[in-house]
Amino acid sequence: MQRRNLLLGAGGLVAASSLDPAYGFEREGNRRILVFSGNQPVPILDPHQRYDWSTRMMQRCLYDALVRYEGSPARVIPWLAEGWETSADGRTWTFRLVANAKFNNGDPLDAAAVRFSFQRGLRLNKGISWMLSRHLKVENIVAVDARTVRFTLERAYPDFIAFLPLWFIVNPKQVEANLDGDDDGQKWLTNNAAGSGPFRIRRWDGQTVMALEAVPEYWKGWPMSEADRPAGVIFRVMRESAPRKAALQRGEVDIAAGLTPDDLQQLERMPGMVVTNDPGAAPFFIMMNTQRGPTADVNLRKAIAHAFDYEALITIHKGDATLMDGPFPTVTAGRIALDMPRRDLAKAREYMARTTTPPGGLELEYLHVAGNEVQRQIGLVLLNALQALNIRVNIVGQPWPTLIGRGANPETAAAMTAVYVTPVTTSPDTVASQYASSAAGQFWGIHQMRDAQIDAMVAEAAVELDGARRMEMYAAIQRRVLDLQPAVFCMNANQRWAMRNYVRGFAHQALNLTGEVDLYTLYAARS
Amino acid sequence: MLRYLARRCAYVGLMLAGLVVITFVIANVTPADPAALAAGPDATPDMVATLRREYGLDRPLPEQFIRYVRDVAQGNLGRSIQSGNAVTDDLRRYVPATMQLVILAMGFACAVGIPLGMLAAVRRQSWLDHAIRVVAVSGVAMPAFWIALLLQLVVAVWWGWLPTGGILSISADSPPTITGMVLFDALLAGDWPVFGDAAAHAVLPAFVLSLPCLASVLRVNRTEMIEVLGSDHVTAARAHGVAPGRVVGLLALKNAMLPTLAMIGLRFGWMLGSTVLVETVFDWPGIGLYAVNSAIASDFKPVMGVTLVIGVIFMLSNLLVDLAYGWLDPRTRSA
Repeated sequence: MQRRNLLLGAGGLVAASSLDPAYGFEREGNRRILVFSGNQPVPILDPHQRYDWSTRMMQRCLYDALVRYEGSPARVIPWLAEGWETSADGRTWTFRLVANAKFNNGDPLDAAAVRFSFQRGLRLNKGISWMLSRHLKVENIVAVDARTVRFTLERAYPDFIAFLPLWFIVNPKQVEANLDGDDDGQKWLTNNAAGSGPFRIRRWDGQTVMALEAVPEYWKGWPMSEADRPAGVIFRVMRESAPRKAALQRGEVDIAAGLTPDDLQQLERMPGMVVTNDPGAAPFFIMMNTQRGPTADVNLRKAIAHAFDYEALITIHKGDATLMDGPFPTVTAGRIALDMPRRDLAKAREYMARTTTPPGGLELEYLHVAGNEVQRQIGLVLLNALQALNIRVNIVGQPWPTLIGRGANPETAAAMTAVYVTPVTTSPDTVASQYASSAAGQFWGIHQMRDAQIDAMVAEAAVELDGARRMEMYAAIQRRVLDLQPAVFCMNANQRWAMRNYVRGFAHQALNLTGEVDLYTLYAARS
Repeated sequence: MLRYLARRCAYVGLMLAGLVVITFVIANVTPADPAALAAGPDATPDMVATLRREYGLDRPLPEQFIRYVRDVAQGNLGRSIQSGNAVTDDLRRYVPATMQLVILAMGFACAVGIPLGMLAAVRRQSWLDHAIRVVAVSGVAMPAFWIALLLQLVVAVWWGWLPTGGILSISADSPPTITGMVLFDALLAGDWPVFGDAAAHAVLPAFVLSLPCLASVLRVNRTEMIEVLGSDHVTAARAHGVAPGRVVGLLALKNAMLPTLAMIGLRFGWMLGSTVLVETVFDWPGIGLYAVNSAIASDFKPVMGVTLVIGVIFMLSNLLVDLAYGWLDPRTRSA
């Protein structure tokens, strides 16, 4: 190799290593590219196959839906649909599409594309399918004309609209041009997009780096001035919190999700950093096995709920959490505040006296995700609190898949399991259904509850058309759930992101999943 | 020699068969349900059943095992239930990045470890020898995860000399694929800015990965050199007036290198396994990070695929070492 080439290589190395942290963000020409970092990859981009937080964040960049959620509290606003009507019997929903929507390859986004997308979502029977499969058959989706699409449900279902922000519209022509046998385009859509969203894919590796470029002529327009519009966004997957924090400090990343409370506390004190702190909507429960073992006794469950030290939860979260005041998450429509159990040892002993506890006390397993320090600390609080009732707590950390696997069956489920749940919509039916027998053994249903009264109430409320009456029914369900105490209803941890102080356009949305942000509104200030 | 080669190859075949059985059993004894995890927390039992059917997880275990063995024999490692991608395609994408890291780390470990081992042996019991041994012990004793985070903080964040992670700057265009290893591809293409960028990204992960190997090479080389330097033929060479540099650099080193080379061969396979931690900290897009992401999601086919690949490379490096020994020392062929 010539000496000149070696020098060039060395020069490249020096140049690559001498980035100024204050101006470290990526650029394209005179436009900036925003870099987001989180810990979760996006193995499947197909909007009809997956919708976890990182996946949905990317899907929102590349696709549009008929409606979308906005603000806190979350409300449904028109997007691809400029409006909709519902029939008097609540079964028929008719949507009128905007006139100017088009896919990023220039194809028009019409009612046929909407019909195709919903039919595909139902046909694949994956990801989002559970939301509508009980209520909608593929043959009952009709493109009335180019801009009108009609859905006829099996029965009245007022929550129908609450799910639509997660049903993204794909371009049928692109999907059909990329079929692999009878796979419905699944293979192609895993790493490619066929959408109409504000961004298009520039480079895609769902495990590490996803680079998107802005579509300047996006049919909906941009929320910031043309001068501020970013050239694109990059999602950089960084598995560990410490490297993510380091990248943020160095300016390689502009905004990061999923940092530990300690990291956030340090970043808050650093110049040039902003750390958000908004009420979260993903409650934490200690689910109790209501079918097997000592916790099958409701009196023991109530004793545990009254012995638990709730204030310690706030301390563990360094003040950035709020205690649950009802069994439903804060974002759920029809949620009511109830008189929740708080630490009251006299009451706890009263309930304990009604149980058939053996004289030597008993031992209960508390299962949490291995490596989750917050969950482990909550286990220690539980251990300490239950000593007063002569209950020994065996704290066990196991990998997440094992925890879910054990929870699928009342025979293997632990007496107490630490669980965070993330509501994906405002639908009260979705949340209420998690306490019905049909949910037993599923993720939220690790409590294994089977109660005929709740089953009937949930089925009745789901189809009630009178809004006020419906909310009363959900209030009754919440009271019944609390009576049965399938869980210790703990707290909502605040949602927190750390970002460089030049990042603008951040708006907290209560329904954002875990680390998800709306990248469409974000940009770097030109200072 | 041919019989010896055949026997060694048969051992490798047996070990591979054992590895296939073990990876399958381990993947299936955990209580996790990969289909339920991939389907998501809200999936209905019907949706989970759809995924089970699609990936053959609804079949009895013996049937799944027979299919797995048959597929592996045909070079098909199955599909990831998380991404739907063929594991072989994923491995083709991620193995070169890991190989680049391992080659750089191994190169660094040898380039530094062998001379330091020689130096320590020549200056035995001097302050230099003690200092080098401290380095050697530290290299083995300090956890790679901790060193990685420490270097990331000091070198990348405080000093700002090197990037915190990744294989290339996000805005850098990958060089044309020749080997799949971006650093070497940039070198072959004469793309010097990208070469510099790739080198800057590789420094910290390769250094961290190399440390345990460097320490081992150094220690083995030092020990062997001390032994050889005290042997009769070296003493005779010195008595005949052979220059000290020639005695150490040629006579002694040549003899001391045999065990060192064997150790390097073994360490190569071991290093592949160690990439799991290093790639996770530095977000290096190789098979280590791929294995971690898959294991977290109980996506067993990729985990089994990575295990097999690492196992095969480890066995092949062992085989090469065995063959080299058999060739250099015929007495070992009958062992």
